[in-house]
Amino acid sequence: MNSDSNSGASLNQGASVKNKLKMLLRLHKLEAKRGINEILDNPFSNFMTVLVIAIALALPAGLQILLDNGKSLSQSWDGASRISLYLKLDLEATQIEQVTSQVRQNLAIESVELIMPAQALNDFAERSGFADAISELDSNPLPATLIVQPKSTHSSPQASEILLAEFKQLEGVEKVQLDLDWVRKLYALLQLAEKAASALGLALGLAVLLIVGNTIRLSVQNRREEIEVVKLVGATDAFIRRPFLYTGFWYGFFAGTLCWIILEASLIWLQQPVANLAGLYQSEYSVNGLNLSQSAKLLLFSCGLGLLGSWLSVGRHIRQIEPR
Amino acid sequence: MIQFAQVSKRYPNGQDALRNVDLEIASGEMAFLTGHSGAGKSTMLKLICLMERATSGQVIINGKNLNKVKRRKIPAVRRDIGMIFQDHRLLFDRSVFDNVALPLMIAGYDHREIGRRVRAALDKVGLLSKEKNTPIMLSGGEQQRVGIARAVVNKPPLLLADEPTGNLDPELSAEIMKLFEQFNQVGVSLLIASHDLSLLAKMHYRTLVMKEGRLVQDQTDQMFEDEALKVDTMSETSDHE
Repeated sequence: MNSDSNSGASLNQGASVKNKLKMLLRLHKLEAKRGINEILDNPFSNFMTVLVIAIALALPAGLQILLDNGKSLSQSWDGASRISLYLKLDLEATQIEQVTSQVRQNLAIESVELIMPAQALNDFAERSGFADAISELDSNPLPATLIVQPKSTHSSPQASEILLAEFKQLEGVEKVQLDLDWVRKLYALLQLAEKAASALGLALGLAVLLIVGNTIRLSVQNRREEIEVVKLVGATDAFIRRPFLYTGFWYGFFAGTLCWIILEASLIWLQQPVANLAGLYQSEYSVNGLNLSQSAKLLLFSCGLGLLGSWLSVGRHIRQIEPR
Repeated sequence: MIQFAQVSKRYPNGQDALRNVDLEIASGEMAFLTGHSGAGKSTMLKLICLMERATSGQVIINGKNLNKVKRRKIPAVRRDIGMIFQDHRLLFDRSVFDNVALPLMIAGYDHREIGRRVRAALDKVGLLSKEKNTPIMLSGGEQQRVGIARAVVNKPPLLLADEPTGNLDPELSAEIMKLFEQFNQVGVSLLIASHDLSLLAKMHYRTLVMKEGRLVQDQTDQMFEDEALKVDTMSETSDHE
């Protein structure tokens, strides 16, 4: 170079590191904006893509919410695995006392509640709404009942079985029932369902990756000419990749937000029927939606999937485009 | 600046685009490359900016042997070369300013520096007032000048132009050439592929004539002895290889 010092003709070393970092930040802001615009420029078809992703996410997420609710329900009952002892109908009050004290002596027992036949009948009349019919009865058809709460150390299935057998042999006991046997079965079923939900989540997560990847592939092809030009003026693959990564990220972001809205709307829709159902069981139970950290996780996961899907797709397709 | 040593290029379809080309263009030199289409002009430019690789021989640009440049390093080579195309290759969804700023953004310049340099480049080509327009609102000559501003904004030591006046009338062509001369005066090396012989005749620069992949003439004045070539070249005006 003969005129290096006073001319514009110098080798380009680019800018200083600090300026480069500053510029990189600006570029990122710019590309992020451009990524959003890319989606907003074509609202209808992009909304379809976002909706498909949102639904694909909402299915496993919704199932997970239901499972979590079922689990918390069954767990709250699991600790209270009570045993009901139905006494023989013809027992006298003193005999009932006798059986009760016998049960109380058992070391595995936390507490015993005695429900006398009259009280049981009252409760039943009150709750069932058959008060009039019941008042017509000549005699009380209900037995005295002992509600036994085993100590927590004795509430495992095996210990419960042993207790059950012991109580069965007491004189005056007609029938022994482990109240919450079905809860345990439900719990086991839920665990199975959870595995199925994970598998579903995995499959649909993969589907989301493919949807994003394919959308980005089309977007790369649409901008083929632009990519060629940018390559000709010295852009690195990383520079070209960036706007597409942002587009993928925004797909994930919008889809995650939409998924959250879908889930919350479904839960609101379910609230009334659930409240009715819970009312029938004298429960205040209501379905738990997503809390803040779960919502954040959903959004993060969705953004991550969008980013990953576009990253997997964009590198390969950009390399195929060379200026001609 | 540009050095070709026994360079040959054979395309995958078996076409020999260049055959044993030897060439040296000094730094700060301005040269024209001419010849009818298919003679290898475009291939030569493509080898310099690594759009194609030589089948054999060495291409050395700025002291860098391009045979040894890996794929990942290609962008760095291209940043030192300003390229001007017959079809301008502008981005039509962005403003004139953003088009010209592209090489600087890629190189990672500070935005104030970008603003300064882009305006200087646009001023140089006389389009400062149109920085906010999109290229589609400009005439062909103006679009070409935007392309030139983009090529020089990064102050590369070497400019390549492939038929830069191919689509322009003589008056606009002369203007573009005047711009090139101005760049050359501040030390930029230029290699301009063109088959606009009437234009070349007016300018007294080194002219390289290609024919069937070979360099057949290399001279500093414009005495074209090969009349056949002249007729050939004049008959084709706006094609590109």
